[in-house]
Amino acid sequence: MTIMHHPSATTLAAFASGTLDEARAVVVATHLSLCEACRGAVSGFEHLGGALLDATPPAQMSPGAMERTLERAMAASAGAEPAARHLVEAGLPAPIANYALGSWRRIGRGVQWRSVDVASDDAVRVFMLKAAPGTRLPRHRHTGTEWTCVFEGAFRHDLGRFGPGDFDEADENDEHNPVVEAGVPCICLVALQGGIQLQSWLGRLVQPLIRI
Amino acid sequence: MGDEIEGASAHDPAQWIVAIAARQDRAAFAALFEFYAPRVKTMLMRMGVGAATAEDVAQDTLLAVWRKAAQYDPQRAAASAWVYTIARNLRIDRLRRDNRSKLFTLYEIIEPEEPERPDGPLDAAQDEARVRVALAELPEEQVRVVELSFFEGRAHGDIAKLLDLPLGTVKSRLRLAMNRLRNLLGEPT
Repeated sequence: MTIMHHPSATTLAAFASGTLDEARAVVVATHLSLCEACRGAVSGFEHLGGALLDATPPAQMSPGAMERTLERAMAASAGAEPAARHLVEAGLPAPIANYALGSWRRIGRGVQWRSVDVASDDAVRVFMLKAAPGTRLPRHRHTGTEWTCVFEGAFRHDLGRFGPGDFDEADENDEHNPVVEAGVPCICLVALQGGIQLQSWLGRLVQPLIRI
Repeated sequence: MGDEIEGASAHDPAQWIVAIAARQDRAAFAALFEFYAPRVKTMLMRMGVGAATAEDVAQDTLLAVWRKAAQYDPQRAAASAWVYTIARNLRIDRLRRDNRSKLFTLYEIIEPEEPERPDGPLDAAQDEARVRVALAELPEEQVRVVELSFFEGRAHGDIAKLLDLPLGTVKSRLRLAMNRLRNLLGEPT
């Protein structure tokens, strides 16, 4: 797959520094699981973090901190901890499979919705959407950020075509009129930010389901 | 310090981690601890973590370095970047407010088990050198915004107040700096 749309550098940096909220981080991680170039960029930002760490002035540690930590270390054997492994549901990007998923529910003509149980402290909700080929989604304006990662099928709007792996980082200034391509359904992961009075078509559709 | 590590006189944290994995080298651990634990503590305190928790997480970071030492590949990551990511994950795990949070596991998931660059292994030393060059080439005012936002995790509004700048200026400086850094860091050649 050729990925045309990537998260912004600021977003990749925020992910690397661990300051992105979990809801948005899941969508970014989904893109990363499909995009080697952005994994490289995140690694670059982690090296930036390392360089800044090296240049940081040291703080005073409590007396005997090193000896106590070494004692705890000796109680375990070095290098003993195996790398973590994660089970992945077939056909799903690994970052999503990490969360409890609801079942698919029809929420409108040609559109299905599936909840993704992500803890979030910033009124951001995460869900999957599946839209039938040719579905024309009503024109909508974002009231908060709406980040989307496609993993099957494709849609188009005025900023281009968004196929598997593509990342759409829309904010409140964007107005879109997406159309799902012919062929296969478009399945994507969405992190939608919004309060009680969601204005967008998507907000109205999902509001009863997620009880924002 | 250093009597158990061959050639430990020079500052070489990557070799210290390798020495821990190879032979549970206590002197290498002491050297790593003395360099990184106090710096991780500073970083966390600048992020707004209280001194006692920052101390705990700094100690736990070095403990995790000991335990995970065999997973460290000096070809793939500079020691500083590796320690940074361990501290990042422990901070997220320690400070999560919601028990359902799995944020820290996302970082393990996207980490490929094997280096996958078709054109040969990553050269971590080169990555590290590239970061230092990139930082040196960035205008001072951009470096400051990067430190405050990226390293200390401050909100854009806080940075605007701290530097007495309009919010828009902070955002555009940050965007410029991050785009520049991504371009400088991301190119494999």
